[in-house]
Amino acid sequence: MSSCEKAPSINEEGNLVPKTVEYDASLPAISVNGTLLHAEAFGNPQDPMLVVLHGGPGSDYRSLLNCKKFAENGYYVVFYDQRGSGLSKRESKDSYSLQVMLDDLTGVINHYRSSPTQKVFLLGHSWGAILATAYINAYPNAITGAILAEPGGFKWQDIMDYVGRARSYSFTSETLNDFMYMDQFLTGNEDQHAILDYKLGLAQASDGAPDSPIGNEATPIFWRSGAIVNRALFDLGESENPDWTTNLHEYSTEILFTFSERNTAYGLSHAQHVSSAYPNVQLEMIRNAGHDMLAFPNGFNNFFPLALNYLNNH
Amino acid sequence: MKTIKIIAILCLFSTSYASSQTMNWENQQAFKGHIVSLSFGWDYASTWGIGYGYQLNSSLPIVLKADFSTPFGKTNFDDFKVKMGAEIQWFKKGAFAFSTEIDGVFRRYENPHARLLNFGSYMSAIAGYYKPKWFVAGEFAFDKAIVTHVKNSEAMREFYPGIVDGWYDPATGGNFSYGIQAGYTLKQNDLTLRLGKVIAQDFETEPTVPLYFALGYNRRFGQ
Repeated sequence: MSSCEKAPSINEEGNLVPKTVEYDASLPAISVNGTLLHAEAFGNPQDPMLVVLHGGPGSDYRSLLNCKKFAENGYYVVFYDQRGSGLSKRESKDSYSLQVMLDDLTGVINHYRSSPTQKVFLLGHSWGAILATAYINAYPNAITGAILAEPGGFKWQDIMDYVGRARSYSFTSETLNDFMYMDQFLTGNEDQHAILDYKLGLAQASDGAPDSPIGNEATPIFWRSGAIVNRALFDLGESENPDWTTNLHEYSTEILFTFSERNTAYGLSHAQHVSSAYPNVQLEMIRNAGHDMLAFPNGFNNFFPLALNYLNNH
Repeated sequence: MKTIKIIAILCLFSTSYASSQTMNWENQQAFKGHIVSLSFGWDYASTWGIGYGYQLNSSLPIVLKADFSTPFGKTNFDDFKVKMGAEIQWFKKGAFAFSTEIDGVFRRYENPHARLLNFGSYMSAIAGYYKPKWFVAGEFAFDKAIVTHVKNSEAMREFYPGIVDGWYDPATGGNFSYGIQAGYTLKQNDLTLRLGKVIAQDFETEPTVPLYFALGYNRRFGQ
């Protein structure tokens, strides 16, 4: 580094994490429910809509772009980074609520919907599948069908039980220590989004670690991990102890529920337990895949025919 | 940069935060010489450490210290921390004593996404009750990550091609800690325990595990 060169700022947009739609006008964005969301759609707008919901909370849809393939098969595929996540505009921690996440989804559906009779399917991965279920629980008549890929649970305790297993490492493991040791290098308060987002991005290396119980072949690709929305929604979960199953008995439509073969923290029994909240379930194991089954070719190639068949039959 | 390199090399021969040498000042009073220490515990991660100290022949009790600690794990020494500094006893009345410690810190972190190098500082204040065979004390400390060099991996460049490597400012982190020290002394040997809580410098956010813990052994050589 030359003596004239100014040291980059840890808090500046674009240095360690990409700029969001708020600062990069070239990114596709929609204005919904008082925020700016990074969003795009593929396919014929008149076709049945398939809204893809990413995990996290705080991750983004980059690792789910394989789902564009549904657009080639008669579906209008909508992707968006949820509020404060990925390349969507950051928001302050106190602006988050579970209801506002549902209202955002309503706004996204309304933004892209071409007619009131257009079918609307939800495809959610991990936290995205929990969000999809929370939506169906709140509005059982609004959704034509749902594909849910390995949600931790629909009740808070189920989620925490799963998260505990998914983060179960040996006390002396490299992965655990890599996850924790950086806490002395990088700290930030709730307004210092960039440093916290970067830190969470570093921590995501554990999602691809060989000793991770979740069984991924690598770390799924991402744009930006939204640390504040992640923290806000976990804090809300702990304080509100949500149960998103109370109205699911009214949803008689069959759902497709998938879980991955290699995620040892999940497994058939947890999949049966979580999916049993729905009255009508097609339960499928995705072979040769870990938790991020939609992000990698092996998992997606096994997932896609099942999902397409489900969509075509509803 | 030359100064920085020299400090870094010196640090390679040197101990740390949770692994810092914890001393029974009552026995240090009449002691002049070398102290070697071993420790293990939780210092943001499961760690082990070694340390060396030398008590000066001075009217004010001063111990020069050097500590090295590193997390357990499959990859050796990709993450570590070295501290060099001094602990000074400023006040003693009966069995009660008050001391402070100040250290320069160099630490390294690496995972599949990035390598971080950091220069920082560590300051602590310790007040306790010291008897020849045992002691108990309270401590309050601040660990500041002052300047950090970030080198991102190819994986991170694939995720974000515009990512910027380099020395980052302003200070990238800082944590306060507070807790207790206790120990048992047998001749030239000390068994020590440190236990406490860590909170970030905003006094709101916490590390993933907001605790520190260390079991240590000291051996004194000298008069």
